[in-house]
Amino acid sequence: MSTYIYGITATSHPGLPEGVGGVGDPSLPVRVLREGGLAALVSDAPEGLRPKRRELLAHQNVLSEAGAAGCVLPMRFGSVAPDDGSVTAVLAERAEHYEERLRALDNRVEYNVKANHVEDAVLHHVMAGNPEIRALAEANRQSGGGSYEQKIQLGEMVAAAVKAKEAEDARTLEGVLEPEADAVSVGPESTGWLANVSYLVPRDTAGEFLEAVERARKDLPHLEVRLNGPLPPYSFVEPGPAEPAGAAAGGTDTGAG
Amino acid sequence: MTVVPAQQTGGGGGSSGLYDVLELVLDRGLVIDAFVRVSLVGIEILKIDVRVVVASVDTYLRFAEACNRLDLEAGPRKSPGLPEIVGEVTESGARGKSKGALSGAAETVSDAFRQAREGSGSERETESRPRARKSTSSRRKEEQE
Repeated sequence: MSTYIYGITATSHPGLPEGVGGVGDPSLPVRVLREGGLAALVSDAPEGLRPKRRELLAHQNVLSEAGAAGCVLPMRFGSVAPDDGSVTAVLAERAEHYEERLRALDNRVEYNVKANHVEDAVLHHVMAGNPEIRALAEANRQSGGGSYEQKIQLGEMVAAAVKAKEAEDARTLEGVLEPEADAVSVGPESTGWLANVSYLVPRDTAGEFLEAVERARKDLPHLEVRLNGPLPPYSFVEPGPAEPAGAAAGGTDTGAG
Repeated sequence: MTVVPAQQTGGGGGSSGLYDVLELVLDRGLVIDAFVRVSLVGIEILKIDVRVVVASVDTYLRFAEACNRLDLEAGPRKSPGLPEIVGEVTESGARGKSKGALSGAAETVSDAFRQAREGSGSERETESRPRARKSTSSRRKEEQE
């Protein structure tokens, strides 16, 4: 029977989610495998596990439960070991590394911030700040919309201005939030957002981080800022020791705080 | 620990909170080379319509249309929070990478402005929030370890 792994934590963790429902349909109960000072949160791995929404949520829920009570190193979704023994073997073999990570991330949580423009607002911004675009738009309007080429010309200028504004706003946003975080991890770029950044925040000062988010929302009202957290530190666990440290996305210089 | 779960928004199947979190579950977190990872091929959650938005003629035309509809008289001051920061923000310059996201912009902008014109133009709410769903991007499918 292969073994599904949710995360790694310390045996001293005060609220191991033993028995909580994990992946599978019906969901399989979470078990705890102990090895030295470390514990792995696992369940049996269901046959034919697929990355379906309910499975992803189950994974996240187990980690949420565990993360609420103490530090846990979350596994990426879908890690399956041949059996329980190979899980404990890895814990033993890499104990030092995981213990170091648990110490570094102790009492810290991840907040993920995504932002995009409120489009009408950003367009106003662009028009307001760019007389050339304004003039061109006005000229087009007067001539009943403008020729195909004029439209392309205008659209291209607007697109470039909006894009520049996205980059600028992403930096401004990060400038407001970064001082309240111990570490920052920039997520993959996508067309759905202009910023996708995770922040590692001490539990004790999470309130200050949240205030900074509110401040950013107020200062940048043309942005829609989405905040998710507190989450287990998905973006700050680093790859295993088999991979070079620091190869994780973004800066993971967490130890400092 | 509260995870903001799916906030089902009105039409269009966007549950941004859910996607925002699951993106992390799928893309980040600890990977142990000794273990197998479930194949992410055909992943359900990623079937979000990925709007490929590149600087394209289509995009330009939509922007141009949006501008034509834009009521300049209403001006930026009428728009929620459009601000004095204009000057301040533009000063900070625009170097660096941009995170190109013109897609949804182009589409919703025109809606926004249509609404703006139909409404009296002054009391408009920004209820036409961007509907652009994030593309948890197809490239992720290739990223599995």
